Amino acid sequence: MKTIEEQLWSYIDGTCTTDESKAIAELIAADETWGSKYADLLSFDQQLESIELDEPSMGFTFKVMEGIRGEYAQQPLKSKINQNIISVIAAFFIISITALLLFLWVSVPLGHANMSNGLPQQLKHAETFFQNPETKFLHGTTLLNIFLMVDIVLALFLTDAYLRRKKASKQALRP
Amino acid sequence: MQSKLSDIELIEASLSGNQSAYADLVRRHQRFVFTLALRFAKNREDAEEIAQDCFIKAHRSLASFQKQSKFSTWLYSIVYTTSMTFLRKKKLPTDYIDDENTYIQLQNYAGSSGNLAENRSRSYYLNEAIGELLPDDASIITLFYMGEQSLDEIGKVLGIESNTVKVKLFRARQRLKEKLEKNLKSEVRELI
Repeated sequence: MKTIEEQLWSYIDGTCTTDESKAIAELIAADETWGSKYADLLSFDQQLESIELDEPSMGFTFKVMEGIRGEYAQQPLKSKINQNIISVIAAFFIISITALLLFLWVSVPLGHANMSNGLPQQLKHAETFFQNPETKFLHGTTLLNIFLMVDIVLALFLTDAYLRRKKASKQALRP
Repeated sequence: MQSKLSDIELIEASLSGNQSAYADLVRRHQRFVFTLALRFAKNREDAEEIAQDCFIKAHRSLASFQKQSKFSTWLYSIVYTTSMTFLRKKKLPTDYIDDENTYIQLQNYAGSSGNLAENRSRSYYLNEAIGELLPDDASIITLFYMGEQSLDEIGKVLGIESNTVKVKLFRARQRLKEKLEKNLKSEVRELI
């Protein structure tokens, strides 16, 4: 069962149904207790409506915007870079390196016996290596190409990680 | 000067990199955010810190604002959670405020803001009584009367059902009325 005050507040706030609203309006008009209580609550409600908001300090907006700018400045470079651009650059380098390696692989006649005398010492060793029956299967196979590719990508990745770590530790040491 | 653009238009401009649009949003809502924070913090310095923190948080997650509710409702929910976190950090009770302590802080605040006699208007007594309420009661009254939020919207801000808000609002107004009458009576006694 709702109290008189509860019903009157619902009436003032406009949260009661149309029927309830009609019934309360009739009670306010007919009953003195309801009438005086209603006037009291309505006056209190109007007082609450008229409360003014507090004002923050003059430079409040400026301080907020400074805080936001500060937050942007603190953001790591990684979050500012467009990942798509990085992917395109990475793809370009990977394709270039792969193409170069393939070109070298095709151009340098390691397996050609007649040319071997004119090659530098290192390549002669390489030729010997590939002519060895145990390692011969590596020569000219895609397995070796894949192996070299993975090695290069891994080397680039590790160098990048190392340089990032070094940069981060340098930044951390700054006052 | 305040912008004539709607909150949503300002948000869109802000998301596309217009910093002054967000500054306009801050100017538009700062008074209410600060008042609501003051209901929890009870002193201007802490309230201003909370309010600043709220606007920075709101800017950080502006892209996640769904636009299904009013921006003010979303912002006030940030103020509510930030203020509750502040109370917990300060180890102040979130559901009970020591009346005596609050009263002293209110006196200090009134004293520092200049002429005490000028402040002792009807609005002053009301604000004083609201300050003595529990943070939850004070925030419900502030949201309903000053934040122009409906019962449903207050429910969203506080994370409760609108029926519960209705009951809480009723009780909060009752407590406020009692406190106001008590304070006014003691004031009259002092004058006599």
